[in-house]
Amino acid sequence: MKRIILVSILAVLAACTNEAQAPLVATDFVVMETMPGMKMTAAYMTLTNNGADDIRITRVTSPQFAAVEIHETILDDNVSKMREVPELVVPASGAVTLQPGGMHLMLMRPTDESDAVSLKIWSGETMLLALETGFTPR
Amino acid sequence: MPLKTLLVGVALLITLAAGVLTFLLVEQRDTQRLPQTAMVFADKVTLPDFDLLDHDGNTVGRDVFKEHWNLVFFGFTHCPDICPMTLSVLADAKRQMAERGLPLPRIVLVSVDPERDTPDVLGQYIRYFGEDNLGLTGDLGEIRKLTTALGIFFSKTSIEGDDYTVDHSAVVALIGPDGRQHGIFSSPHVAGNFVNDLPIIMASQ
Repeated sequence: MKRIILVSILAVLAACTNEAQAPLVATDFVVMETMPGMKMTAAYMTLTNNGADDIRITRVTSPQFAAVEIHETILDDNVSKMREVPELVVPASGAVTLQPGGMHLMLMRPTDESDAVSLKIWSGETMLLALETGFTPR
Repeated sequence: MPLKTLLVGVALLITLAAGVLTFLLVEQRDTQRLPQTAMVFADKVTLPDFDLLDHDGNTVGRDVFKEHWNLVFFGFTHCPDICPMTLSVLADAKRQMAERGLPLPRIVLVSVDPERDTPDVLGQYIRYFGEDNLGLTGDLGEIRKLTTALGIFFSKTSIEGDDYTVDHSAVVALIGPDGRQHGIFSSPHVAGNFVNDLPIIMASQ
């Protein structure tokens, strides 16, 4: 019994430690299917920051794409503009949603024919989050 | 007793009158249904002459729009977000109209990036959203003849390195079977707007 309690306490502690190290959580992560003949696609997700400090995402990498950029589609008086976002800030105890027609990741120049995409989200030289998913048809 | 009968009679008459009135009002509303989101022009816009290429590489002019109701979007294949999103919405609207047995429009993508959008590239892209779709590309000056007439803006914009993007109007122009522009759908686009408004516009012409 004592052993079970000890294991339980350790598990809870481990979970707490894990939470403290990785306050950034991604949900609803999707990568859209690359269309025929195209060399790029878009990825979307909601990023939630459970920590007490803002998180600055400075780059995203993927072994399946030569380049990944953070972009924003701006709809300005019926004109669509796409701009690169140099740094994506997820506010403390807040969330940022990357969604069609807004903020998104642009995945460019596929490097293989893989059915799955893995992404790493970075702040400077610190890797914050690793994600993997399949392609979603449009 | 006669008074009670009279009262019942009056009550019945009032009920009947209310029913007839409601029916007439609903009927009138149905026959006067108006588009909810589309802007329909009182004066249709006649298109200028132009020479463009369809996605099979054929040279086409303004008559390419004739005999169809065309939902015309201006975009480019290297656009990962708003262009596929809009074409998906249009394809969804068309699917919903097909399920209801309604006459169907044709989805047209006019490239604002002819440098990268060759007929072959455009064909693969546009067919992804439906086999009956039409892609148009060609000389930039010829594209401008069409966009100017339809009030469509586009502008090439540099991004990092040698790469570029194209800012462009996100509206959907409606060109009728007479080859003239009948109206416009403003963005952001929702399938329901087309499913609701298109049959009304198509039936009224």
